[in-house]
Amino acid sequence: MKQLLYLICFLLVVTACKEEFEAPPKALVQLTLLNSSTKGTISAKTTVLGKGQTTPWINDSTVSKILLPLSSNESTCFRVSFDSKVDTITFYHSTTLKYASMESGFYNEYKLRSIVNTHNRIDSIQIRDSLITTNWHENIKLYLHPLSAGSN
Amino acid sequence: MRILSFTFILCLLAAISYGQKEQKKKVVPKRTDNFIRMRGLRLGADLTRPFQDYWTKGNRYGSEFSADMELWPNWFPVFETGWEAMKIKSSYIDYSGSGTYSRLGFDYNMLQAMTKKDKDLFFVGFRYGFAVAHQQVNSYQLDSYWPASGHLGTQNFTAHWGEFMLGLKGEMLHNFYMGWTIRGKIMIDKKNLEIPSVYFIPGYGKADKSFTLDFTYSMYYNIPWDFRKKKTIPEKKH
Repeated sequence: MKQLLYLICFLLVVTACKEEFEAPPKALVQLTLLNSSTKGTISAKTTVLGKGQTTPWINDSTVSKILLPLSSNESTCFRVSFDSKVDTITFYHSTTLKYASMESGFYNEYKLRSIVNTHNRIDSIQIRDSLITTNWHENIKLYLHPLSAGSN
Repeated sequence: MRILSFTFILCLLAAISYGQKEQKKKVVPKRTDNFIRMRGLRLGADLTRPFQDYWTKGNRYGSEFSADMELWPNWFPVFETGWEAMKIKSSYIDYSGSGTYSRLGFDYNMLQAMTKKDKDLFFVGFRYGFAVAHQQVNSYQLDSYWPASGHLGTQNFTAHWGEFMLGLKGEMLHNFYMGWTIRGKIMIDKKNLEIPSVYFIPGYGKADKSFTLDFTYSMYYNIPWDFRKKKTIPEKKH
């Protein structure tokens, strides 16, 4: 009888624990911020808001690298503020649905085709690797105008 | 599952090493139970299949039936057939898969019977299994800043595999048996689907594993109908 109770307890514990499912992985595009004059890495107080979104992806954080999520559509547009200077960046990309596992689900991988941006703070953009996978790595070099002489 | 696999491999190694020792001694006693102990057909139902949900990730359930007979002394050809379903519902995916499967093989009894009434078996067995099934992703949700969802249509597939096992069958009441098996299953082949790949194979388990372990606990009834023609032994003339 005691052994039966132990067995029931064990089964209950197993049943309670087994339904933990992991979230699917994410493929994010990685941008490195560089000073357009010195070509060195710089940090900027950054806010990123996706077009049509109400919650910012990054909110007033000082960063030198940015990881951005792309949408399932053919283009993804962000409103980006570097040290209060606002630009828009639009990524044009192809999207491929990938299967992680039936326990976690699906995710998208992307191939960058082109990037269109405004030039308030951004000087230029260089695509280093157009393939965006779950193995995050530098995809884009983003050259920013220095704020003032001697800064960064 | 790793502990189970390890234990199974350990038992297998122990059995092999024991077998090798026996070979050295070269003492192989001849079987004295060279007779049919079970007349007729034995039908069984696996009691564990409906309750697999308790030890499997996802909601897995099904039913399985078997038929076997002692065709030659200690050799039991076996046919097993069943149906299984698997469902997974999480924040990111709603999956369902189901299908039928069958296995064909034999058991060899290693337990020597003392009398013709001794019908308990300790056996090793082999099965060839195949499944015809389908799966469907009813809906999926990407974990993204940009909300996205979708669904994928029904995918039909087949798979086949081999099984080797160790088990016991004991006659609890007259013609009523109970028994268990521990099974190792080795994938032979399955249909390669593009996206998603086959996740669950009825009768086998998770498709991404080339080796799976399983156990069964079944009840059997021996239909006491002797299909063999009784041999008439001519009386000796004195």
